[in-house]
Amino acid sequence: MKLGGERHLRMAGGGSAYGDMYLRYVSPVLAALSLLLMSTPAATGGMPEGRGLVLTLRGHVPRVHVPYTRALRASSPTPSGVDAIPQTVADDLGHPFPLPAETPRKIVSMAPNITEILFALGLGGRVVGATRFCDWPDEAKAVPRIGGLVDPNVEVIRSLDPDLVIAFRGNPLRLVERIRKLDLPVFVLDIGRRLDDLFPLIERIGRITRTEDRAAGLAGTLHRRLRAADEALRDLPSRPSVFVLLYGQGLWTCGGESYVDDLIARAGGLNVAAAMPKKWVLYKREAIIANDPDVIFILARSTADFAAGRDRLLKMPGLSSVKAVKAGRIFEIDENAASRFGPRLVEVLVRMAALVHPERFGGAA
Amino acid sequence: MSLRSGRRVFWAAALLLCAAGLLLSLLTGPVRTPLGDLARLFRHPDPVRWAIIVDLRLSRAVLAFLVGAALSLSGAILQGYFRNPMADPFVVGVSSGASLGAVLATALGFEAAAFGFSGPGLLAFISGLGLVMFVYALSLRRGGFKVETLLLTGIAAGALASALTSFFLFMRSDSYDQAVFWLLGSFQLAEWGQVATIAPWVVLGLLASVWLARDMDLLALGDDTAQALGSPVRRVRMAFLAMSALLAALAVAVSGIIGFVGLVVPHWVRILIGPSHRRLFIASALAGGTFLLYCDLIARNLLPAELPIGVITAAVGAPFFLYLLHKKR
Repeated sequence: MKLGGERHLRMAGGGSAYGDMYLRYVSPVLAALSLLLMSTPAATGGMPEGRGLVLTLRGHVPRVHVPYTRALRASSPTPSGVDAIPQTVADDLGHPFPLPAETPRKIVSMAPNITEILFALGLGGRVVGATRFCDWPDEAKAVPRIGGLVDPNVEVIRSLDPDLVIAFRGNPLRLVERIRKLDLPVFVLDIGRRLDDLFPLIERIGRITRTEDRAAGLAGTLHRRLRAADEALRDLPSRPSVFVLLYGQGLWTCGGESYVDDLIARAGGLNVAAAMPKKWVLYKREAIIANDPDVIFILARSTADFAAGRDRLLKMPGLSSVKAVKAGRIFEIDENAASRFGPRLVEVLVRMAALVHPERFGGAA
Repeated sequence: MSLRSGRRVFWAAALLLCAAGLLLSLLTGPVRTPLGDLARLFRHPDPVRWAIIVDLRLSRAVLAFLVGAALSLSGAILQGYFRNPMADPFVVGVSSGASLGAVLATALGFEAAAFGFSGPGLLAFISGLGLVMFVYALSLRRGGFKVETLLLTGIAAGALASALTSFFLFMRSDSYDQAVFWLLGSFQLAEWGQVATIAPWVVLGLLASVWLARDMDLLALGDDTAQALGSPVRRVRMAFLAMSALLAALAVAVSGIIGFVGLVVPHWVRILIGPSHRRLFIASALAGGTFLLYCDLIARNLLPAELPIGVITAAVGAPFFLYLLHKKR
């Protein structure tokens, strides 16, 4: 159960698009701002996750985690002097977060994709704590460990005395709240459902770490590479169908709510499980044969895992009739890169596109 | 060894173990804390050390003690109440009812906090008590009720609640950590707010049960005899049932379901100090708290990742329980 849970989480996460988030959370943030200035105890509370019941409670005060004076210093007064309010951003739970005046010196990252983005922004030296799954880039392995995704250790995090903790929506929310109660500045980020959600994610991490320019630079680079791939895939005459297999027990694949589904679509393919309204689904053997995919991707951590996964697939009765098998189009995708909602997704996309449409990328059709 | 001197040994050992457990809780954890740090803490309070030792470790140790005391006292009351050594907070459905409420709250996204509880904690408390009342109402039959009926109704209702809990957990498969928390318990989220929420009730419950302990002794002779000896049996029964349900529901609301404490600890205590309820209640609370304090120490220090505490209570409690049981025979 433990391993399954970890794996599931490593690849999952909940939530909706960012634009929606902003809309939904604007009012709580404004309320919190006025609260900060008036310092009266009653206000409307930010409500995370509008999954069902939404309620606002008087007296449930969203906490602001940077000391008042520091928050005030963070705002740069405009010449007119009108805008003396400290700038705040809402995190993906709707908690207001006052922007620090300068780049935090001790950052704790609670998810591998966040660690990757921090390193890509040149902040690797300031990451003082990361999860045991944070193994990219190589230098990240040397960062002190705070535990895993579902079992981060609050005590260890506190002992690192961070001035910024970036959590992931898939971390246990109650633990994240516990960390917040220790008066540590916590910013919670969700992962996206589409590849394009990567850009707001990078932009926001850049914002809260006050490295906006570097974030813009990184986003620009990724954008250019994406555009090149999009360009190569223009006016496709056909979209080959793709089945994605997650290496491990059972035929786990990605449903329509997963960003991997979006990756496949963006790479010019059609995910055979796109109609399933979930992030990760257990697929049926008959369904693969019936859907007859043109291409099969196996997300594996190593070439050995890939080979084992492929052999297991090939041994299944009836699978020899599948087009991808007959044409030998079963390919390895680096699970390590594909399972993290970070900058390396762009590389994954380019690889997928070249494998689905070799004719567009200078390979043999 | 006479029973009297045996008792003295029990009290001394329990108090000593409790104090030692508290100290150990402050000193152990993933962050190394030498004894000197503890001394320095009060002379030069440094915010990081203070947060770790006082906000995290001390609050957690105190909460574990209180929850252990509540569960164990609740078990001691119920075992006297049913005159049945198998009774514990699970039997009357408190625990299953409370976990159903908590999981339902999570599934519905009810996260607001009130009275020091989180949303799920609050709903856990309400539904735990609710299920007991439901069970009680079902087993009432024209002016009276049979203990067996109450026991069986409780087991059935509890099973139903457990099934629903599993269903909701399964439906929201992304809340894996929640599932573990509510099914096996944890003090990972301990904070002073929770301590403040349950401490008064544990103290109140203990005082009230000690005050009514004579009546519980009489109940052991049978309801009719107790009535004849001047004990207001119905009211006493009502008060004890309410108290034990309240204590168990509170415990589940702050820490999830922690099995075995309510069943085993009162048994140990009864074997060690005898059946008089006044002594039994106080000793059960003390021993239950101490027991859970040590279980939590193991849960958070045995492996790099924390273990659910329910795993430890069963693993430690069961063999020791069997040993005592067979030695006594």
